[in-house]
Amino acid sequence: MTGIRDDLKRMAEGFRWGRRPMVPRSAEPYALERTDRTFPTDWARTEAGTAARQVILKSVILPMLRNEVALKVHGRDVLDGVQGPLIFYSNHTSHLDATIIMTSLPDRWQSKTAVGAARDYFFDVWWRQAFTALVYGGFPIDRAKGGRGSVTKARELLDDGWSLVVFPEGQRSPDGHVQRFRHGTARLCIEAGVGAAPIGIRGAYQAWPKGSNWPKAGRPPVNVRFGAPIYPEEGETHQAFSLRMTQAVAALHDEDRSTWWEALRRAEHGETPSLHGPQGPDWLRRWEGLRPVPRRRSSSTWE
Amino acid sequence: MPRPGFVLEVDERTPPLLVHEGERFRMQKFPLGTRVVYPPDALPGVPDVHAAIRHALLHPVGDSKPLPELLFSGMKLTIAIDDISLPLPPMVTPDMRQRVLEHVIELAARTGVEDLEIIVATALHRRMTGAEIRRAVGERVFRSFWPTQLYNFDAEDPNALLHIGMTDQDEDVEISKRAAESDLIIYVNINLVAMDGGHKSVAVGLAGYRSLKHHHNVKTMMHSKSYMDPREGHSAINDSVVRMGRVLAASGVNIFQIETTLNSETFPSNLGFLNKREWEWSAYDQGLMMAARKGNELAPPRMRRELYRRIEAPYKLTGINAGEVEAVHERTLTNLHRQQLVEVNGQSDILIMGLPYLGPYNVNSVLNPILVHCLGLGYLFNMYRNKPLVRQGGVVILHHPVPWEFHQIHHPSYIDFFEEVLAETTDPAEMEKKFEEKYATDPWYIHLYRTSNAYHGVHPFYMWYWGAHGRDHAGDVIFVGGEANSVARLGYRRADSLRDAIEMAKDTVGSSPTMTYFHAPPVMIADVR
Repeated sequence: MTGIRDDLKRMAEGFRWGRRPMVPRSAEPYALERTDRTFPTDWARTEAGTAARQVILKSVILPMLRNEVALKVHGRDVLDGVQGPLIFYSNHTSHLDATIIMTSLPDRWQSKTAVGAARDYFFDVWWRQAFTALVYGGFPIDRAKGGRGSVTKARELLDDGWSLVVFPEGQRSPDGHVQRFRHGTARLCIEAGVGAAPIGIRGAYQAWPKGSNWPKAGRPPVNVRFGAPIYPEEGETHQAFSLRMTQAVAALHDEDRSTWWEALRRAEHGETPSLHGPQGPDWLRRWEGLRPVPRRRSSSTWE
Repeated sequence: MPRPGFVLEVDERTPPLLVHEGERFRMQKFPLGTRVVYPPDALPGVPDVHAAIRHALLHPVGDSKPLPELLFSGMKLTIAIDDISLPLPPMVTPDMRQRVLEHVIELAARTGVEDLEIIVATALHRRMTGAEIRRAVGERVFRSFWPTQLYNFDAEDPNALLHIGMTDQDEDVEISKRAAESDLIIYVNINLVAMDGGHKSVAVGLAGYRSLKHHHNVKTMMHSKSYMDPREGHSAINDSVVRMGRVLAASGVNIFQIETTLNSETFPSNLGFLNKREWEWSAYDQGLMMAARKGNELAPPRMRRELYRRIEAPYKLTGINAGEVEAVHERTLTNLHRQQLVEVNGQSDILIMGLPYLGPYNVNSVLNPILVHCLGLGYLFNMYRNKPLVRQGGVVILHHPVPWEFHQIHHPSYIDFFEEVLAETTDPAEMEKKFEEKYATDPWYIHLYRTSNAYHGVHPFYMWYWGAHGRDHAGDVIFVGGEANSVARLGYRRADSLRDAIEMAKDTVGSSPTMTYFHAPPVMIADVR
């Protein structure tokens, strides 16, 4: 029995059971092209899967999230009366983002929204695949190739009335600032004729930056702000729509930093501050990106 | 497009790597920085084997006419084929020899050839059994010709040999009389490694001791660096064989050479993980490996051996050429290198190899300690071009249990060699001088060679000489997991684990040695720059 146990241990360690398989560095130029194995996720969007997801989101994930960060959500009311489906999108700086969006969505939307998740990261080992599908209603997206398979799946879900959560940057920001939006999301909106609902997330990078394993201690503040959906106009190119999408998120950040009125006026004059961060060396961008978001205490009635 | 071979550098991402150790295999963690030489992926086989064979016979290379033009009614035709030592493991049927033979015999029959004999070119190897020959040539050929016109070569039948002449280096050229007196010899070869084929097919395969001793000797072996590099001046044994082949050609012996090359699909699909790179193993491969390993450990030795004996390689034909010997062999080598060559930069202090269960001389038999020595230091060590993977004076670490066991029928002279010769000396030159003649001419061994299925009395000496260059080149040889008594008899050292072996090696190569693990099989040739 000891022999079997030792064998299993050696194999589990060496072959990274339950973890992401890795190719030795010197073998990377000779790595086999990954075959696109489609992990079945439809089960997670059945009635039972949806019910299970909502229970998990409300009773497990949201309490955990609130335990780790001081979450404040604003502007959910803009979705009142809006007909779906929509593509929810936001800036992407942290593993918290998808969780924050899914737990912040009003019930009506939460029960009919699926998250597009990177195939190479969230669909590599079985347990991560199952977790992503169950908790986020996740479906795989090929970010490296912009594979048509994932676009087809996204279209299929939109046609079925499902809203999607996507991150047009394609990956988490390495320094907290917004990267260039890829045009795939804008193209999808135009092709499917659906609106894009902007979400501004501030503080997630400071709470759980790329490279950390868990959010920082001390319940750092994270502010989430929903914006009114924008729709592609007649004849609008995906480049132009993508630019409008970026500006919508920038306006939400500006609003969170200042006030709705001031942000509105700056947007009117085309003076909304850019989200792309300062020019300069990487350390400077990270330094600025990690600048803490001020805690906003509710003012006391008696002050 | 199949991927080329490459050299891996072990890092923290590298899983344990598979190491063969006889009728077992282990998963071994290697020290960071160890280089691992991986063979190229298997090349695709030719899409239509029959068309390829027909094309080769009708479009010969070099100074040769198409085969139909060489055949005529009333001629004396001899076909010779490689014996059981090729390919390794035996390939799934139909064997490539059968495929080629059927085409050749069909042509001969249509031309009106009546005097046709097929000789299994065993030289001093053991006679193949009827069942083994049937498997190699197919039922149709076997039933038509066995045993009168399809038979094993007998290098000890004084009436069956013909002295052709001498080379300019005073080497006797003596081959099968039947073949030499034929109007045409057609040799059907399977070229598994670079030292197979070419002039070696007829000049060695159909020769006897009188001729073989000119190149199967310590001096020639020591100057063959390497056997797998048949370019002129790199392999004394090959140069000698070429000289003999040219004497044959000059004396009017007509040879139509047919050479085939196979890809590297060495293991069947139920052991498919043995053909793959470890980090590409699926969960199924990993499970299969563990099940195979555990099953292997628990199986009684006889059952285990039987399971290994049943392994058949799903080899596919990558090329076939026919015609004049040297022109054919040149193309064969190009094909072979396409499948087997891996570029490696520089030598290392330690060379690590896992020895599999099978070598050329223990098909359906036992890999005895002398054959283990030959497989490690003779064959695998020599799988290089330019220079060895390990530096002069470096250490060779081999994984094999080296059990003290022999096949009583196949290897009778090996038993006496082990008990008598090796007990006295492990020096190839000394044993050559003192013992070789006695074993080569012993009437009992000759009797067993001719009438039973025994290797010739001198064969264990050749096996020992075969490893002479590797033995001389290495500063130390250590067997991981080897049986203490048999390893000691071979004159080597043993260790319980790779870690221990590396520690022992540090006495010879210093405290921070560079290491290379040669990840074979499948067979490959390291082109060391």
